Amino acid sequence: MLRNLLSRISIAPCIIAMLLSTLVIAAPIVNAKGRPPRAVFLVLPDAVAPPTVNLRAEAIGDGRYRLHLDTEAFMFTEICVPEADAVPIGHAHVHVNGEKVASAYFPVVDIGPFAPGLHLVDVVLRGQDHRPIIGRDGLVQGRIKIAVPREPA
Amino acid sequence: MKRHLSTARFAIALPILFLLADQVNAHEAWLLTPTEIEELSKAPPPPLFRSQLWLGLAAALGFGMTLVALRIEPIIALIEDRLIVPIWKTYGDIGPLVLRFGLAAMLLLGSFGGLPRHGIDAWTTPTFMVPDMQLINVVGAEVLIVSQATLGILLIAGLFTRVCGLALVGFSLAGPILFGPAFWSYTPHFAAPGLILVALGAGRWSCDDLLNVDAGDRIVAPVRQVLWRVSHMLIGAGFIYLGLVYKLMQPTLLIAILEHGNMPTFGLPMPLIALIMTGVEILCGALLVTGRLVRPVALAILGAITFLAVVLGETPLFHANLYGALIVVLLAGRSVPIARGITPSLNARTV
Repeated sequence: MLRNLLSRISIAPCIIAMLLSTLVIAAPIVNAKGRPPRAVFLVLPDAVAPPTVNLRAEAIGDGRYRLHLDTEAFMFTEICVPEADAVPIGHAHVHVNGEKVASAYFPVVDIGPFAPGLHLVDVVLRGQDHRPIIGRDGLVQGRIKIAVPREPA
Repeated sequence: MKRHLSTARFAIALPILFLLADQVNAHEAWLLTPTEIEELSKAPPPPLFRSQLWLGLAAALGFGMTLVALRIEPIIALIEDRLIVPIWKTYGDIGPLVLRFGLAAMLLLGSFGGLPRHGIDAWTTPTFMVPDMQLINVVGAEVLIVSQATLGILLIAGLFTRVCGLALVGFSLAGPILFGPAFWSYTPHFAAPGLILVALGAGRWSCDDLLNVDAGDRIVAPVRQVLWRVSHMLIGAGFIYLGLVYKLMQPTLLIAILEHGNMPTFGLPMPLIALIMTGVEILCGALLVTGRLVRPVALAILGAITFLAVVLGETPLFHANLYGALIVVLLAGRSVPIARGITPSLNARTV
């Protein structure tokens, strides 16, 4: 009778049932921690001092600007790696009006030229594998508005 | 003569792919804007993905539907046979051709930086097989670029195709060593096409056939069958892994990407759509691993990745390896025929 029962049970449903059961148990445990997606963010351990970044922009003519990234507890490097350690070392991505315009591997980067008007510059510090860094206080980012006059400075 | 003209036509058409490169967008997190990244960093996983009750109910529903599909598998197989008969005999020629050209496009574009990651200018940074894997500061990058390009050219020509398949398996295994664990997401979906090429060869429209240099006859039929099944299992395992690691365990990322692409919700909440997508991906992967409902699953995945590519504005080139492999699977089904000329139903009994 047992042999008859076993012969009637197909292997595929058994494997699928086991797989689904495991996932139903495991997924809520992982998701309950509420961490941001690991594939996207590089979360620094609490023991590491959270980096900060403040932005300054100076006009250098023809609608172009020199952006200064004043950082604390962060080290710039040109070296990128496929999978970075959770340390405050890396570079910054510079977005203007939501579009990425540059990667800053040093604390000074030139951007533009910009058309006359108001432009929103966002800078997010990234790890060596390009993932945005998250410190104790969340995403490490800076924002500045650049008002480009009609006559370029 | 006609055959040679067809080969020449395909070879001429390939450069057109390069013209598409500027429209290429890599996918996933690179698409998100700074504001979306900021929101994502604060978004907690939706309750649906944290509740064992809801996930359990969803899993039970998915399992029930899978059981029903398995129950009617023989009926579906009859319909498949009827639909596939007109083109079935040519699967060994069309399938490998699509696969070879898809893989070649990815490899060649990657070598010249024509398949860049989102935010990177085209033709500036070579990549290894996929846009995310940039060949910067990688040991032996020059060798990899040349090897990759050579492999692409050989695949277009259809020369030493089975050896190229083995090389592709080697590349996919080298990826995690060169780029770390992140590459495991891609390994199965490049190793599987490699095994398919080893099992099937280049097909009729190739230099292998023209010059009669295919060593395929020396691969005994059972070995070919094993390679074929292993390739299905790899494709399936890849989907289970992606569904588990990137969707089930990181649901906010999937939701952010869908919202970025303005995915139509049909009135359903986005977390539910994300859960359905996750479930479908995992179940399809499991069915491929177990070798059941192979053709319907291949068709479903082809439809899903095409839909997503359209919604997210991605180029089909980004998934060319999967398109090629799944088209071959769709045409051939669960078992690769031992010899030409047998009917699909006979073929089904050889499994």
